[in-house]
Amino acid sequence: MSVHVLGPAAELPPGSRRIVEVAGRSIGVFNAGGRYYALRNACPHQGAPLCLGRVGGTTAPGAPGEYRWERDGEILRCPWHGWEFELPTGRSVFDPDGTHVRCYPVTAEGGVLLLHL
Amino acid sequence: MSEQLETVRSQGNAAPARQGILDADVHPVPAGPDEVRAYMDMPWRERFAGEKRTFYLPVHGTGRKDAVPPAGGPPGSDPSFMRAQLLEEYGVAHAILICRTFCNIHPDADYAAAIASAHNRWLAERWLEQHNGDGAFKGSITVAQQDPQLAAAEIDRWAGHPHMVQVTMDSGARAPFGQRFYHPIYEACERHRLPLALHPGTEGMGINHQPSPGYPSHYIEWHTNMALSFQAHLTSLLCEGVFERFPGLRVVFVEGGIAWLAPLMWRLDSHWRSLRPEVPWVRRRPSEYLPEHVRLTTQPLERPERDEDLLALMEMMDAERLLMFSSDYPHWDFDSPRRAFPRLPPRLHEAIFSANARAFYDLPG
Repeated sequence: MSVHVLGPAAELPPGSRRIVEVAGRSIGVFNAGGRYYALRNACPHQGAPLCLGRVGGTTAPGAPGEYRWERDGEILRCPWHGWEFELPTGRSVFDPDGTHVRCYPVTAEGGVLLLHL
Repeated sequence: MSEQLETVRSQGNAAPARQGILDADVHPVPAGPDEVRAYMDMPWRERFAGEKRTFYLPVHGTGRKDAVPPAGGPPGSDPSFMRAQLLEEYGVAHAILICRTFCNIHPDADYAAAIASAHNRWLAERWLEQHNGDGAFKGSITVAQQDPQLAAAEIDRWAGHPHMVQVTMDSGARAPFGQRFYHPIYEACERHRLPLALHPGTEGMGINHQPSPGYPSHYIEWHTNMALSFQAHLTSLLCEGVFERFPGLRVVFVEGGIAWLAPLMWRLDSHWRSLRPEVPWVRRRPSEYLPEHVRLTTQPLERPERDEDLLALMEMMDAERLLMFSSDYPHWDFDSPRRAFPRLPPRLHEAIFSANARAFYDLPG
């Protein structure tokens, strides 16, 4: 486990993101409504820069004809083929156990963001 | 003819041969309707608003989100950025450019022809003559099939351009493509030895029929069913004897899938043994026409759970002769040359990613 200083937390306000290079890896760091998340910036499907995708919600699996919008602000959608991943877990929406992207803890300590690899 | 084009022409294809893979489906996109309007005469200039398909759109948008050029504008609108993000990134020697004009949705054949024509002028000037000193970009002459005579005239107008390598039209249609109505287009393609690329996207739009029974509710259904349109057109071309009538005609099926081809040919070949008397001009087993006359592009490549299944299908459909790689850059369903395919045997890889398209478009490596 290694800890990397990302900089002042104030520079990553809610709704924003940053792509950082740490230990040879491209990683997306997100502030989603005050919670911090970090995911590997490579989609497991075809290697697209996943963390450039839109963050929003999704339609929950449900009965035919039913639309239920959920997890707003917690779903990252790949900029290429639209595969959806949960920011908090890196698990995909369509196959949570089989298809996922590596994620890392981010903490704010004394106003400074730390990435734990 | 512009001075610039004269220079391009005098250089001819003198630019040194380019090493690398070929991408048979890449979309240059105007920054907005005004860019195309600049190439239109009145009354069309005043009328054109960049009409496109207005429904059956992906929930996450048509373009790759990371393909927006640094200076802004829609994905695919900046030739330099396309060179960096596609050609340089993946070692693409030649990108075959196909404009998405949606011209064949319109009931007015003259308007449709004007839209096609303006896009051809835009493509030639902005992509094939500027930003193309190395000849990496090759173009497709867009035609609207509403009036095949006008389409043929458009082909005649552009066939001499050193970087136009094929004709293209949308596979959305009012009648299957084997029918005689379309013959002037095939005659012109044959006359100029230019392949004809069919591209989906206007199925069920404007004046065109939907290839499924009625309109599906969702984009996912419509997009999956693109293969239906291609199957109907290919069956028609073969059964109407188009390749007997135009022995020099070659057709490329772009972006409609590949997995359907082998079973369709099994079915048609079997029927032909019994029903041949109905179509006596079909002199050979229908599938025998494919190597000489038909190619398919790979994207969006079907990916079954087991890679062996796809490799077996490729073997059955004669992929080593018929398939050409395509990425569909900059659209959302882009296939990465590095990641879209399972591991292919080297010969098959070389055929799909380079040799087949180089031979087909006469672009030696």
